[in-house]
Amino acid sequence: MNVVKWARSKSPWIIHFNTGSCNGCDIEVVAALTPKFDLERFGVLLKGSPRHADVIVVTGPVTNQVKERLKRVYEQMPSPKFVMAIGTCACSGGVFKDCYNLCQGVDKVIPVDIYVPGCAASPEAIIDGAAKLLKKISG
Amino acid sequence: MVPAEIIEFLSVLIYPGFIFIFTLAFFYEWVDRKFVARLQNRYGPLYAGPGGILQPFADFIKLLAKEDITPRAADKTTFRVTPILMLALALSTLFFIPTAYTTAVSWFEGDLIFVTFLVSILVLITLIAAWSSTSTFSTVGGIRVVLQMLGFEIPMTIVMVGPAIVSKTLSITNIALWQYTTGHYFAIYQPIGLIVLIICLLAEIKKAPFDIPEAESELAAGWITEFSGRKLALIRLTTDVELILAGALVTALFLGGPTGPFGIPSVIFFLIKTTGVILVISNLRALFARFRIDQMLGGFWKYLVPLALLQIILVTLGVG
Repeated sequence: MNVVKWARSKSPWIIHFNTGSCNGCDIEVVAALTPKFDLERFGVLLKGSPRHADVIVVTGPVTNQVKERLKRVYEQMPSPKFVMAIGTCACSGGVFKDCYNLCQGVDKVIPVDIYVPGCAASPEAIIDGAAKLLKKISG
Repeated sequence: MVPAEIIEFLSVLIYPGFIFIFTLAFFYEWVDRKFVARLQNRYGPLYAGPGGILQPFADFIKLLAKEDITPRAADKTTFRVTPILMLALALSTLFFIPTAYTTAVSWFEGDLIFVTFLVSILVLITLIAAWSSTSTFSTVGGIRVVLQMLGFEIPMTIVMVGPAIVSKTLSITNIALWQYTTGHYFAIYQPIGLIVLIICLLAEIKKAPFDIPEAESELAAGWITEFSGRKLALIRLTTDVELILAGALVTALFLGGPTGPFGIPSVIFFLIKTTGVILVISNLRALFARFRIDQMLGGFWKYLVPLALLQIILVTLGVG
C-alpha cells in the first residue's frame, strides 16, 4: 500500500468556510466535530489557517460578494486539496436558486469533490460524506 | 571490536538519539490526544493503526507529502531555516536531559543554566519564524509568544534553581542521580516548585490554557499561520519534542530522573514518570479554557513569581 496515500486518507484536516449560509449547516458541521459524533476518530482536525488544511468544508450558497474570497482561500491551500459542499444551498443554491446575487452553488466557483445535500445536512450525512471522501483519497 | 566513535554516533542517531526521540514524540502526541478525547467522552484517533496510535505519524507523512508554499511577501531564507533550527534546538536541549540512561547523552557541570538558555532561544526563534512570514496573524502571534516568555521565564528559572541548591550541583544528570542515591525526591520536599514548574512549562510549550499565541478563534492559527507542508511538519514535530522536553525536565529535576529500584532498565522508569507528567499536562489542557494574554501575564507575575521566591526562601531556610 502506498504510504503517502494511506497517510492522506488517515489525516484530513479541514477548514470551515461559510459562504452565506443561514448557520444551519454550520451548526451541523460543528456537531459532527464535537464529542457526540467526534470526527477526530478519522483523524479529522479543524484548522484555523487554510495553509494547514487539506479539505475545505463550504456551507451556504456562494454570494457574489464572497466569491472572490472563496477563490482566494481555496488558492491559499497547499495541494492536494479537496472540497466538500455541505447542504443543499452549497450543492445547487437550494431555495435561493436564480437569485440575482448568487452563483448557484460552490461548483460554479471551485471544483467540488463531495456533495452532501440536506437542509440542514445532518451530522450523520456529513460523516458519510467524509467517509466517502476518504475512500476517494485512498483511491 | 566496534570503535567508540561509531557507538557514540549511533547513540546520537538511534538510541537514545533522534529515532528514539521521534518515536517517543509521536507516541506522546497520541497519548495526549487520546487522553484529552477520553476526558471529553470521545474516542479520539481510532482508525490509523491499532487504537489510532499511528495518527501523529500519518499527520507527519501527509504534511511531508503536501505542497510547500512560501508566501511572496515572506523573508524567504529565514522562513525556510527557522523550522529546521527550532527542531535542532529542541533536540539539542533534550540531549542534556537524562532520558534512556541515567546520564544524559551529553552533560557537564552547569548544563542546567545551558538548558534554560536553550529554552529561551527556542522562544526567540519562534518570534523570528513568526516575524519572517510577515502575515498579520503570525506577527501578532509572535509578539504574544515573547510576551508570554516575559511571564514564564522568571518563575521557571527561579524554581529550577531550588533542586540545584539542595543537591549542590548545577548538572541536571547529577541532580537526578543525587535524588536517587539519597532518596530525597524534590517532588515531596519542594511541591510548590513542582507546581510552578509545570505551569510554566505549560506556557513554554504553548499548550492550553496558555495557547494564546495560537488562539485559533482570534488569530487563524497564530504564529504558524503561514507555514505549510514540510515546514509545518517540522514545527509539529518540534511541538511534540517540546512536550517530551517538558516531561523529561520535570522528571529529572523533581522525580529523580530515569532511576528506580530492582535493576529494571532505566528507560522504563523514564517512560512511566514522563507519561505521568504528560497526563497531568493533558488533564490541565482539557480542564481549562484559554486565558487572555493580560490575565496570563498578570497571574504569572502576581502569583507564580512570589510562590517561586517563597520556595527558594524555604530552601535556603533548610526546608526542602
